[in-house]
Amino acid sequence: MNDPNAIWQRRDYSRVPFELYHDPEIYRLEQDKLFRGPTWSVLGLEAEIPRLGDYRICYVGDVPVVFNRDAEGRVNAFVNRCAHRGAEIAREPFGNVQDFTCIYHNWCYSHQGDLVGVPFARGVKGRGGMPPNFDMGQHGLRTLRVATLKGIIFGTFSETTEPLESYLGPMVVENVGEIFDKPIRLLGYQRQRISANWKLYLENVRDAYHASILHEFNRTFGLSRLTQTSGGHMDDRHRHAMLFQYKGSDADDEARKAYADDRVQRDDYMTLNDGSLVDYIRESQNGISTRIISIFPNAVVHQIANCLGIRRVRARGLAELEIEFLAFGYQDDDDAMTAHRVNQANMVGPAGLISMEDGEALELVQRATSAYGEGEGIVEMGGTGPLVNLDTRVNEIPVRGFWSYYSELLGIAPNGAER
Amino acid sequence: MSGVDPAVREQVERLMVDSAMFIDRDELDAWVDCFEPEGRYVVMPRENRILDLPVGIIHCETRARIQDRIVCLRHANKYNPHFDRHILSASRINDVVDGVAAVETNFLVVQTTKTGESRLFCAGCYEDRIRVRGDTAKFAERIAVLDTFSVPTLLATPV
Repeated sequence: MNDPNAIWQRRDYSRVPFELYHDPEIYRLEQDKLFRGPTWSVLGLEAEIPRLGDYRICYVGDVPVVFNRDAEGRVNAFVNRCAHRGAEIAREPFGNVQDFTCIYHNWCYSHQGDLVGVPFARGVKGRGGMPPNFDMGQHGLRTLRVATLKGIIFGTFSETTEPLESYLGPMVVENVGEIFDKPIRLLGYQRQRISANWKLYLENVRDAYHASILHEFNRTFGLSRLTQTSGGHMDDRHRHAMLFQYKGSDADDEARKAYADDRVQRDDYMTLNDGSLVDYIRESQNGISTRIISIFPNAVVHQIANCLGIRRVRARGLAELEIEFLAFGYQDDDDAMTAHRVNQANMVGPAGLISMEDGEALELVQRATSAYGEGEGIVEMGGTGPLVNLDTRVNEIPVRGFWSYYSELLGIAPNGAER
Repeated sequence: MSGVDPAVREQVERLMVDSAMFIDRDELDAWVDCFEPEGRYVVMPRENRILDLPVGIIHCETRARIQDRIVCLRHANKYNPHFDRHILSASRINDVVDGVAAVETNFLVVQTTKTGESRLFCAGCYEDRIRVRGDTAKFAERIAVLDTFSVPTLLATPV
């Protein structure tokens, strides 16, 4: 996989070699150039660590990272690995602590990751101990630079990563900013482990075309239909993407005819006892009813009607990923609105009425391309050539946008590539 | 709990076994009928329980909404084709108040593919409130607390 021009048949990324999901060398490059490169990964939310001393474990690529709130209320992040012998330090997924002490030899660290204690450093009865020139100041934990946007905590390993807001660009800052414009209330976690390469999920959340075809619930109840006012947009580097939708901008009859004509839908439609499951109580400024905002490399912020959430995506080796859905509402929601959001959380997660299918679809791709790895996937919906924003969801261009920025970071972009 | 009316215990145990068997046999309408009209069904990740967060993996406040789940499953959802086997522990009846028994039962669900490969899909505990009236028992509430809250692949059929 050394010659980029041999990897990519086409400079506009409209062919994606299946090998990219299965090559261990590519996986190593991703860890090095992408997750530890000039990117901001979402670590978590400030609301997950509200109190002084709180921490939670997250992952940046393969690497377990602790983010925490110190005694002064500042947010810090460090790699969860003792500087001494490399043991995991924090062993509970979340907690509240005075300090971080490794159980192996009780080396002790502050919330900032500074080494503050080494038992028996001066030996016992004049014997043993560390050499006099051992400097605790030189042996803190590997820290990450941290920045926040409206309560979302980002971290980066690289000193050269551009400032967070310019990395995210106006589209993400504005749309994520609107969703996080008020103090939030956490409503719960949902986790799903899929036996597929992590990039298949990153493509999936940028694939505007599948959402109403694979997910029949979406098209039946008009949460997402190709006949609606909708689109797939990207930032100017094409690394982030937003798929969006206006519920109610098409007629049911018109939509049903379109899906019947293209042989997607049989002529039978389910109905629900509980219509509120798909109701959108308007709360966005411009009436947008669905936003799936992908933040490169590891996160998605979603608004699906009144179901709000952030997803952290974690690669667990080449052939497994974990999605952590974190549902939230606002602190000023009344009980009825909280109940509505909890009800609408039925639409997402591993049992989500409009998301469970992704688990199956991704495993189908992983299995079939692992068994027969030659060849490429076709990404031409919405057109080939330049990476442009389209006001339609019959559109896979954000998937090509992902590969463009990904290839640039990994140093595998072909000559004259679209970017 | 000692001193539970044997007739109540018998009804509780029958509901436990029947409701699990209905899922394994794919008789999901019969499974829905195991709930009272106001019956709740929640599949709750253990981490949310610990953090006292309300969101479930499945969250249905009434039997009508449980029925919606099954309609969607039959009609709209695509998922990994499989068979289920529920393995239940004996039930502990914690108390019986006004004809409603509070019951805890551990479960394992083994999933088997259509090509005959089995895996442990999940482990957890049912926290049930079961109303016993004469010779019938129905769920007033079933909370399936999932220890396996990092769900492998997806969760389509009810637990």
